[in-house]
Amino acid sequence: MTRRLGLAVPILALLAVALVPPLLVLKQAFTPEQESVAWPPTWWPREPTVENFAALGASVELADGAWRSLRVALLTVVSTLLLALPAAWVAARRADAGRILDGATVFARVFPSIAVAVPLAALFVRIGLYNEPGGIGLWLAHTLLALPVAFLVLRSGFAQVPSDLEEAARLDGATGLEVFWYVSLPLVRPALGAAAMLVFLVSWDELATALLLQVTNRTLPPLLYYLTAFGYPGLASAVAAIMLVPAVLIVILLEPALRSGVLSGSGR
Amino acid sequence: MHPNAERGWWWALPAAPLLAYFALFLVYPTVYAVNVALTDPLTGAFPSLGNARTLWRDGLFWRAVAGNVVVPVASVAVEVVAGLALALFLSTRLPARRLLRATVIVPFALPEIVVLSIMRAIFASRGYANAALLAAGVEPVEWLVPGTVTAYLTVIAVDAWHVTPVVFLMLLAARAAIPDEIDEAARLDGAGWWRRAALITVPLLRPALGAAVLLRGVDAMRVFATPLVLTGVEGVPVMSSYAWHQWSDYGDDGAAAAAACVLALACTALAVPLLRRRVAA
Repeated sequence: MTRRLGLAVPILALLAVALVPPLLVLKQAFTPEQESVAWPPTWWPREPTVENFAALGASVELADGAWRSLRVALLTVVSTLLLALPAAWVAARRADAGRILDGATVFARVFPSIAVAVPLAALFVRIGLYNEPGGIGLWLAHTLLALPVAFLVLRSGFAQVPSDLEEAARLDGATGLEVFWYVSLPLVRPALGAAAMLVFLVSWDELATALLLQVTNRTLPPLLYYLTAFGYPGLASAVAAIMLVPAVLIVILLEPALRSGVLSGSGR
Repeated sequence: MHPNAERGWWWALPAAPLLAYFALFLVYPTVYAVNVALTDPLTGAFPSLGNARTLWRDGLFWRAVAGNVVVPVASVAVEVVAGLALALFLSTRLPARRLLRATVIVPFALPEIVVLSIMRAIFASRGYANAALLAAGVEPVEWLVPGTVTAYLTVIAVDAWHVTPVVFLMLLAARAAIPDEIDEAARLDGAGWWRRAALITVPLLRPALGAAVLLRGVDAMRVFATPLVLTGVEGVPVMSSYAWHQWSDYGDDGAAAAAACVLALACTALAVPLLRRRVAA
């Protein structure tokens, strides 16, 4: 009996610490703005409302920001996978290529994003990509931030596919490209899916570069930053709730892959 | 024939797009940043220590350097202790263990800015934390007054809250790799749970602990949004937010580039052991 009680206390504490903050995001999203700033704050909305979401839908800036975030994230998925796929394959198949690519990727992974964003902002000012309405400049920067993640996931995916299969296909007369397309690629489809989702998240969650490169044509993270900094808890939580949905879905889907630690440095 | 035995440079072809992208969007901007950092902002002379002098004389820069040591070190320490405790606790036989493990990961699933937005509402002077204290009959606390010890502790706690799941997952995987027989043998010899954890499990987890400290340490050096959103640039200054502040609030790209270069140098130096480890593995 005391053992049960001894377990119940830490378990409940754990649940509270992990879940109260995200639940408060949802609570604030459905709470009228006046109630959110009142003292003492309520733990449950007295009059639940969807007015915050309605205000988001009515705001041109927020609707634009949501589309920009989505577009940049999807473009980043495409460009990152195209760049990382061949490199990851050759790194898994050739030791010499693997060494060089590993070194370059670790370097890119540890490099602080602010140290890339500051000079990129200066360079983009010159060529007209700074604060570009379509988010092209941000897309190029996010591709850089996401490449190490995609490379690591895909590389370990290719490493698990036995190269015998590729050699067998080659002996049967397939060209290198045919082997890659018909044999290797289908076998790493799970890794490809995982990499795509992780890359999406890197871009979707990214704040630092977005703050620097999209000063007025913002994506959702900088919009949420300013809503928070200027004191709109209800609106901020509504944006936060929208941002939260794909992020939580992806992390739940990828929980097994997370255990290998590959996600630990996804640009955060 | 094993593919590794093939000769020639054909392998450079599939590697080229990635390396070219790094060259164009990582190496070139870095060279550009070094160039800007070493150019005198007034006379345009190169090389010049004009920007370095600006940083040297700026009290905020030195507070940012100190913050960029204190916050990452404390945060990683908290993460490792909490992550280890969670991994050990959630490896024992518990009701609904799978569900508990999934719940513990939730903080990491939230985007960083979402975490910070709600944490600001929680730790504001009229926020949820103080409401809870009041309900418990305890005097409210001013959590986020710029420059106070409490502000540093809050920033560290929030940062650790967000990323402890990463350390937990790494240690959980390492814990699962330890054969049950070892634990079972110690139990039969009469060792209690605490003794087995301290004398058997934790020593066996040492490589994983080292890896976690290294990985998280490098990431923690880049801390940016947590102190910025919770306390503003000057509340708990760190290098990243200092560089951002110089760029966007003062338009001083020389000082911003110089600060970014200092941080990049520190991160790269820390990454050397990481690189060694990868090569060894």
